[in-house]
Amino acid sequence: MDWPSGHALATALVTGLLLGGLFTVTALGLSLVFGVMRLINLVHGELLLVGAFFAFELGLHTGLDPLLSLVVIVPVVFLVAYPAERILLGPLIGKGAEAPLMTTFGLSIILVNLFVLVFSADTRSLQASYATDSIQLAGIDIPLIYAISFGFALALTAATHLFLQRTGYGREIRAAAEDAGAAEVLGVNVARAYGITYALGASFAAVGGVLVGLAFGFDPSSGTSWLLTGFAVVVLGGLGSLKGTLVGGLLLGVAESVGASFPQVGDGYRNFIGFMVFLVILAVRPRGLYGRTG
Amino acid sequence: MTPPSPSQALGGSLLAAAAVAAALVPSFAGDYVVGNLGFRMLEYAALAQAWNLLAGYGGLVALGSGAFIGIGMYGTAKLTLGAGFPLIPALLVGGALAALFALIVSPALFRLRGLYFVIATLVLAEALQIWMFNWNGLGGSDGLFMTNAAPSPSERYYLALAIVAATTLLLAIILRTRLGISLRAIRDNEDAAAQMGLWTFRTKLWAFMIMAFVMGVIGGLQADYLGKIEPGGAFSLQWTVDIVTIAIIGGMGTLWGPLVGSLFVIWLGERLANHPETHVAITGAILILVIRFAPYGIWGLLIRLKDEASGRRRRSRLA
Repeated sequence: MDWPSGHALATALVTGLLLGGLFTVTALGLSLVFGVMRLINLVHGELLLVGAFFAFELGLHTGLDPLLSLVVIVPVVFLVAYPAERILLGPLIGKGAEAPLMTTFGLSIILVNLFVLVFSADTRSLQASYATDSIQLAGIDIPLIYAISFGFALALTAATHLFLQRTGYGREIRAAAEDAGAAEVLGVNVARAYGITYALGASFAAVGGVLVGLAFGFDPSSGTSWLLTGFAVVVLGGLGSLKGTLVGGLLLGVAESVGASFPQVGDGYRNFIGFMVFLVILAVRPRGLYGRTG
Repeated sequence: MTPPSPSQALGGSLLAAAAVAAALVPSFAGDYVVGNLGFRMLEYAALAQAWNLLAGYGGLVALGSGAFIGIGMYGTAKLTLGAGFPLIPALLVGGALAALFALIVSPALFRLRGLYFVIATLVLAEALQIWMFNWNGLGGSDGLFMTNAAPSPSERYYLALAIVAATTLLLAIILRTRLGISLRAIRDNEDAAAQMGLWTFRTKLWAFMIMAFVMGVIGGLQADYLGKIEPGGAFSLQWTVDIVTIAIIGGMGTLWGPLVGSLFVIWLGERLANHPETHVAITGAILILVIRFAPYGIWGLLIRLKDEASGRRRRSRLA
């Protein structure tokens, strides 16, 4: 069996870890919505692309830097997603898991096709100097955008944790996640908590989309593969655990990079490795690494 | 809430009438309507009906249809190409391979409940597609060409019609047997069903394998129609998107829903053939509206209309 050289392995390990940060950012919203609302948000991948297309158009018309444009994108996405959740998903809560799930499925179909109609099926990427630069770390070349994404992962996870633990809205969301019925009885506005959760999830997705646009490029149909990567991260880490999402993302990044660095495996199997790790964990430990028991 | 249905005798004769009407189509319609439009409607009706068994009656939402269709496609292609099988035996073996795959993955899949099951099926199909893109054993990303002469438009129409009829009949029979009752009990409350002594694993497995078999057979038929298959199309998520929208818009958990849904969605697609993106976006919007306002789809609406009309008649007679 051929082993990759020590340097190649170290490179794979470090870039994988940082790439895992990107995975975490793209999965954070999915994890939040999944954990609080018990909803698989099948439109999550397209919400990522909303961020990417938004940044692309802003850059085209105003010359705004992609990362700076987040200052505009995040509030706008939040303010659109909140009423959208209240109107489209709110009335379906309590009607079983299928109705809201399939509604997000419908939204995903609509958005993919709207993207094609409005932006054409071309592949695009977001342009910035830091999207292509790399930095040296102990003799290893690292794409700068991976390192930036890693920073975003840590910052967003920490900020979400503080928001959930220290604020009134956060407390309501935690109560709704724990037991929506009991929370409602105790005076928690569960509908609003769900709306805020969903809008936060959509905003995080948009941030992830901008990072994806910078690091990899995107087209109207690339949402699905990011949705699946997001699932892998969320399930690896465990339902309803922010720490799990962070660890799950990093683990997946490392597994894919290191796996693909073996000469007999190759880069084409990168996603396959990720999905297999995911399926095995799911079969062996369905609650994930940090999942709640019961 | 129980699904709407016409009385059993009426339902049976209606289905028979629909089958006869469908069988007469090739006697007056042109090649395009028979071999393409009608063929597609029947294919999707069978696929949606198979999915309906698991999701509509068993409550198991599987989003990995592409896996079974793709296996049926490659199985049939390999058998007709390499082993020189005639089409119909090849279709059956292709279906059996898909069912075998369902059997192999079932121990892992059925450990998962609800949302986890949904995700796992989605990822399973996607992983299989990536595998087929990279593995060169079955043509890799180039796929396979099929040299067999595809059946004539009316032949493939009747084949598809036979599969739809057999699937629908099978469902109608299953629903009256112990298997069908167990399946619905599991949908309504899996823990209670297990407590009552139902073999939940075995019940789910049967439904899962039947679904996989039908999807594999249709996959084989589609492969023979296309003449060339490749992983992108064979294992595509698009299969799931189409099947799920058709089943839900038509009416999940009803025997007629998938048939009506296929008729409607494919017809709509034909009307908007020059604007495929608009068609799919509109279908998505209809899907959302149906979920919100018509839980049993178009079929449920039709039954409700009929009931209201007959209710009015009865009332006016009384007055």
